[in-house]
Amino acid sequence: MATGRTREMTSVAPAARDLAELRAELRAWCRANVPTGWRRAQTGIGDEEFVAFQKDWFQRLRRAGYAVPHWPAEWGGGMSAAEQMVLYQELAAADAPRLVLAFVSIHHAASTLLTAGTDEQRRRHLPAILDGELWVQGFSEPEAGSDLASLRTTARRESRPGGDVFVVNGQKLWASGAVHADWCLLLARTDPAAPKRRGISYFLLDMCTPGLDVRPIRNAIGDAHFCEIFLNDVEIPAENLVGPENAGWQVAQATLAAERGMTMLELAERLGNVGLRALVDTCRTPGPDGRRPIDDTLVRDRLAGFDAEIAGLRALCRDLVERHDTGAVGPADASVVKVYYSELLQRLTGFGAEIAGLAAHTELAKPASSGWESGAWLLDFLGSWEWTIPGGTNEIQRTIIGERGLGLPREP
Amino acid sequence: MTGSETGLADRWGSGGVELELSAEAAEFGRTARRALEDAGGDELVQAAEREPARRADLVAPLLTELGAWDLDARGSADELEAAAALCRAAGWWALPYPVAERLARPVDLDADALVVVAGAAPSAPVAGLNLRLAAVTLDGRRALAAAREPAGGPAGDPRRTAFVTRLDLTALDGALGEATPADLALGLVLPCWTLLGMLDRAMALTRTYILEREQFGQPLARFQGVQFQLTDAEVERAGLAELAGYALWSVETGRPEAVDDALALRLAAVEAADVVFRVTHQLHGAMGFCDETTLSWLSRYSLPLRRLPLGASATADALAARLGRRGLTGIFGPNADAVPA
Repeated sequence: MATGRTREMTSVAPAARDLAELRAELRAWCRANVPTGWRRAQTGIGDEEFVAFQKDWFQRLRRAGYAVPHWPAEWGGGMSAAEQMVLYQELAAADAPRLVLAFVSIHHAASTLLTAGTDEQRRRHLPAILDGELWVQGFSEPEAGSDLASLRTTARRESRPGGDVFVVNGQKLWASGAVHADWCLLLARTDPAAPKRRGISYFLLDMCTPGLDVRPIRNAIGDAHFCEIFLNDVEIPAENLVGPENAGWQVAQATLAAERGMTMLELAERLGNVGLRALVDTCRTPGPDGRRPIDDTLVRDRLAGFDAEIAGLRALCRDLVERHDTGAVGPADASVVKVYYSELLQRLTGFGAEIAGLAAHTELAKPASSGWESGAWLLDFLGSWEWTIPGGTNEIQRTIIGERGLGLPREP
Repeated sequence: MTGSETGLADRWGSGGVELELSAEAAEFGRTARRALEDAGGDELVQAAEREPARRADLVAPLLTELGAWDLDARGSADELEAAAALCRAAGWWALPYPVAERLARPVDLDADALVVVAGAAPSAPVAGLNLRLAAVTLDGRRALAAAREPAGGPAGDPRRTAFVTRLDLTALDGALGEATPADLALGLVLPCWTLLGMLDRAMALTRTYILEREQFGQPLARFQGVQFQLTDAEVERAGLAELAGYALWSVETGRPEAVDDALALRLAAVEAADVVFRVTHQLHGAMGFCDETTLSWLSRYSLPLRRLPLGASATADALAARLGRRGLTGIFGPNADAVPA
């Protein structure tokens, strides 16, 4: 099985410490710290328990130096790419809970601040994120999905005695986790006359600001982590602008780039460890007729196929991380990984739902804090659609692969 | 929907295989669809989910008025075709009622409906209905069936179950316990017509959506990548429509291979539904997973039809076991010149 292989990196910069040593340290840490039975304990729980568990797990990782390994050392990170790979392999192998709640905070928000923020913004927010400050991304709008640059939420600069503010009006959609968020990464149009990508600015918005209304949207799984955010004369101090006024699109590109790379490697490792193991377990469980699906040749054939595909995915992700590290990443490499992962995830969870049969359709309980392949296959399958639609649909990814990767002409 | 709704060809080759419904049956289907629209259309399934106890009252009287229960699907070719057309209309609205199952009821048993079940864990979307049920397994055994009361009241929580509940079977002795080929074939074919109606609708909704939804300054439908996805789904849907016509003809004319054809149709229906719902959801984007869109309701209520009695792999397995090395008879072999029985 692919799960047994762990090729050490040779092409990345030499690690600060011996990787085998790190691996041993991580295994011992996971044995001592991954809460036993957390999946069962996280099944069917309320929102408060989920948030408390996530915050506690985050702090445990933080104390060990594992929460934000990708941040610069001065802010609490400092692991090399090779070390991060070992970290994510070991967390996946140990079936550790995922940092679901802090995902936007430690990746998108941090990457925005580190790439384009001021020193003051970094000092204000990076330590706060480590203390549990939560962020949401306010990008998409009802009329701006794939065509994000056509967003219509406006921010109008006005003078106030205490300094300039931007007055924001509009609506944001599909903001994951907005109900828990303390702060929002917000894109709004500051120059309605400019070409659409040159009139957008990037803001840090305090979610306690008057004029904000957050409404959860219930989705097909029945949960409501997607939200709508309504902004009605919301005032943002001008010092919360990130990057130059009207250069928000460029800042957003840097933020979106952070969704790929190491975050994809972590997901690929999850799929290769817990995911495949859960699928094999499901196939080993006797069905209502007493037979085990895994004894069927066709089922074994499919499992072997998934194993091979996951091995390919893990290699692609490792390659992407290596290229990132050496500055050799191609303009479409991340899109290739996203298309590969998302469609594999849909096929794999769909197969899980089929094998698990009717039970999977009526026992609708997924452990919170788990990955995209929790073993609650029907919910996992429905959830897998979050991978071909948000964060750049697969149609957009294919366009990027075609135009920027293969150098094909743009669609007329 | 475009003119493709009733299929590409009305007759393949010069032989006796009839793939298209009679004009009367097709007209009956259109009338039924309009009547269901007048009675609430998309609101029917939403009302049934809100008030599961009322679901029979919401639709059964209207179906009675349409003459649904007077249709003799086993006795008359015309009425069988009308029954198929009615199932397709019911699918269009994701009608929360076992129309196909009632139309397939056996004539020699005291039962209002017939459901095809897997031997293990027999289940059907019949929770909370006062129906006398008969069941038939894929190996041809008949039984009387009683729907268990699901957790949370007589009809359970349909948002989680789509009205699926377990059945308790009471085996029938002697000749009554043996299914006729028509039981199995009809019991498999009519629900596929319901599913076909759902695919018709999912395609129509998505066609409208991509024509209306604008991104990058133009409707999504202007992008060839989007067009090609929808055309791939349409090829699946159109192929299924043809096969549904063929399997119906096979039942209608009492072909000895009617059960094989019914299983082949069921496999094609499950596979086509996978493709069609995959594409239509993808093209609707995140909105398609919210109950503000009709697609969300359609795809949720399509699940029992796609999973029961068996999913894709198990259906393929059952079909392969029946066929052995023989293969399907199909429309171009001896059937090309077949004379209707």
